[in-house]
Amino acid sequence: MLVDFRPHTRLRGSRPVDIGATVVPVLEALSDSPVDLGKVRVVADWVQYRENFRGVVDLRPILHVPAARGPAGTVPVPMGTREDDLEIAVDVRRSADVPLRELAAERLRERSDHVVLEDWGRGSESCIWDFNALYWSALELWEKASGQGYEQALPGGESDARNTDAARELVDELFAVWDRLAEARALPEELYVVELGVGNGGQAKVFLDTFRERDRDRGTGYYRRLHYLMCDYSQHVLDLARETVSEHLDHVSAFALDAVRPLTALGFLQFKVFLVYVSNVYDNLPTDEVAHLGGRTYCVETRAYLPAEAAAELAAELSAGVDELPGLVHKLLRLGPGLLPEAVPQHVPDVDRAVAFWRRTWEALRLEERYVPLAGLDTYALSDPTVRNGDAAETSLGGELLGPLLQSGADLRMHVSNGAVTSFVESLKLLHPYGTLVCHDLFVTEVEGYRTHFRGPGKYDGSVVNWVNGPLLAHVGRRHGFDIRYERFRHRSGGNIVTMSAQVGD
Amino acid sequence: MGAPTELLRPLATTVIGSWPVPEWLARLKTDWFRGRISHRQMQDVHETAIKAALRDQEQCGIDLVSDGELRRDNDVDYVLARMPGVEIAHTAKDFYFDYYAPQVTAPLPEPAGPGPLGLADDWAFTAAQTDRPITFSLTGPFSLAHRIRGNGYGERRELVLAVARQLNAEARALAARGATRLQLDEPFLAGHPGEVDVAVEAINLVTEGVDVSWGLHVCYGNRYARPSWEGHYDFLFPAVLEAAVDHLVLEFARKGFDDLPVVARYGWDRGVGVGVIDVKSPRVETPELVASRIRRALEFVPAERLVVNPDCGLRHLSGDVARAKLAAMVAGADLVRASLGPAQPAPAPHPSAPPAPAPEPALSQGAVT
Repeated sequence: MLVDFRPHTRLRGSRPVDIGATVVPVLEALSDSPVDLGKVRVVADWVQYRENFRGVVDLRPILHVPAARGPAGTVPVPMGTREDDLEIAVDVRRSADVPLRELAAERLRERSDHVVLEDWGRGSESCIWDFNALYWSALELWEKASGQGYEQALPGGESDARNTDAARELVDELFAVWDRLAEARALPEELYVVELGVGNGGQAKVFLDTFRERDRDRGTGYYRRLHYLMCDYSQHVLDLARETVSEHLDHVSAFALDAVRPLTALGFLQFKVFLVYVSNVYDNLPTDEVAHLGGRTYCVETRAYLPAEAAAELAAELSAGVDELPGLVHKLLRLGPGLLPEAVPQHVPDVDRAVAFWRRTWEALRLEERYVPLAGLDTYALSDPTVRNGDAAETSLGGELLGPLLQSGADLRMHVSNGAVTSFVESLKLLHPYGTLVCHDLFVTEVEGYRTHFRGPGKYDGSVVNWVNGPLLAHVGRRHGFDIRYERFRHRSGGNIVTMSAQVGD
Repeated sequence: MGAPTELLRPLATTVIGSWPVPEWLARLKTDWFRGRISHRQMQDVHETAIKAALRDQEQCGIDLVSDGELRRDNDVDYVLARMPGVEIAHTAKDFYFDYYAPQVTAPLPEPAGPGPLGLADDWAFTAAQTDRPITFSLTGPFSLAHRIRGNGYGERRELVLAVARQLNAEARALAARGATRLQLDEPFLAGHPGEVDVAVEAINLVTEGVDVSWGLHVCYGNRYARPSWEGHYDFLFPAVLEAAVDHLVLEFARKGFDDLPVVARYGWDRGVGVGVIDVKSPRVETPELVASRIRRALEFVPAERLVVNPDCGLRHLSGDVARAKLAAMVAGADLVRASLGPAQPAPAPHPSAPPAPAPEPALSQGAVT
């Protein structure tokens, strides 16, 4: 048996977590069960998000052969690896409030009456991302029902993107580059800035106001040549943002696009953009998780479910059978709450009830997990695997890039940040040779960070949040010739936001 | 300038140097840098890959082939790591394509004789594997010197010239072994347009006394498939007119052909390698598009002085895309050549290639420069 207690800071301090109370009941339940104690792992995490997709105790089967053999045929099992059968995960944060031994014993008896919503698949393919997409496309309805704007649901209550000091610094750095290029007669007439994930336009307004003011002071005429492209998944958000920057509309264009694939709409700007600005977007893009356990590499597969009790309540509210719930949930995800009443009026008579169904389902939603061996890192596509289009090959990255991060010798489970990696690589293609990408987000900056803290997925209101794999983005950036730097967001103390900047290397 | 030795037809096709690195080879090259496979094994892998790259080029119909630079970890380190006097503190790499941080703390020793870098063996291996003429490329002294930190000299110019003397010794060894076409690649030059005089001075040191056909490739960078610089080729002139080279090999497919008149306006009367394939895009050009680009170039440079090539090396493209692009390039050149008048000779066919067209009169590349 292997016990992996992730060393969160809550283990120390004035009110430390009682490790024994958290783990011993689980070990007792295990010893009472028929599980082979030589082939089980116990993992204890402090799950930082109050709203998340985990139970207090979860069971994760560890498979020994890939679920589908695929073109690789028979996959040899590496020699000398430790092959466990099962992982038991405990949420330390919530374990004190439950009869842990009984709960663990119940899980080990494994007679689940969950209502499963989908088949097993990679994390990025889960319907939690359909919920996430629905949140941003039907944000207006969610906000009306919740009575608060989405920014209020963020931990700090607002985005750091509006910080004026940060905007001034960005503008001054841009002007310094442009001055040098102008001197060399290499400055293009059109000066492009792209913002991905524009929010309500607050950042854009601060940037544009600052830009205009600084340009006026310097008399350089850059504002006249500026094209600021606001991009967001949500047309509603873009409409709000356009109102916010109404003074600057001659210099602003708005694009509704998926941040994962900025080239789909912005391909005409390849190598022309001087600044790509991204704030709090990457943590909200689809991701897989991979793990290196006992010398072998696994993909973490998930499947969404509704706990039996919550499912029964939901079904009763809809005047439906529990077995009808999966179909209704997928109709909701496909049609949205605006159209759902037309499709199933007998269960959802109006939009308000549809929104209530949506919110209640989201609240109850959980994820089962299992570890499935990867036939080899080269058989794993690193780029966002949910996107299939004619240009996919352009940003197709092989899983070999994960090698240096995974194969350090110790057990590790980490996010692949597939959506963020894809978006990042496409954004790098937009950059002018003297351009910069600046990104504020929740980054894990060292691989070790995945061994010490839970990094998601968590729930922000109706959306998903995962910390972004900073070492992986840095590695991918280097592969594309960029120097990648991480530093704490400098213009506000406290908080977890890290600034990543990418510039062409020497 | 060197003495031309091969007979080339008009609009001869070639590559700039590098060839795609398949994922399996990338992994093996990385394993070598991590000490997981032996030097002898890596040599064998490289040689197998070079043979395959040559066959690929031959089957695409390329007239002047290259070794694909497949032995090299990147365009700089392979040469600098062999250069006497260049210090590299950390020789480990996460991935083979990562760059070292070379430095020079004292003046480079003067070359004691030809071939200080040992590249002539690389050339000889390639020559033994193909009947076609070979272009052998070297990163130029200006770009190599710009990757060196520290400096054992008072001025960077002195370092550039010292590197050039090393390359000259190497070029002498290559020529003595039988190399007939050498190319200097200067990907950093476009980023330092004010230093073109120094670059030309160094290039002339490299080519001095080396009796081969010399090409000078100046692009806007292709590091990891993206440009490193932007601007216009007018910075090269008039300084480059003094460069002792036979061909100027330039990038146009990605940048557009607006710079081409510059080459003609300044009276460049030697060969021009015209980039007609965008190596920074995986989209495969059609033969018709290639032909239109060649025709645009023909407005300024006669066919006898024109060589058709991609913008830069193919290293960052996948093998299938690179092959498709080269096939389109050859087909595009054929389209234009067919419209020029009497047909010209095709290169000797590879046994597995389709039947060759009828023999045509050849032109000496040197006779038209």
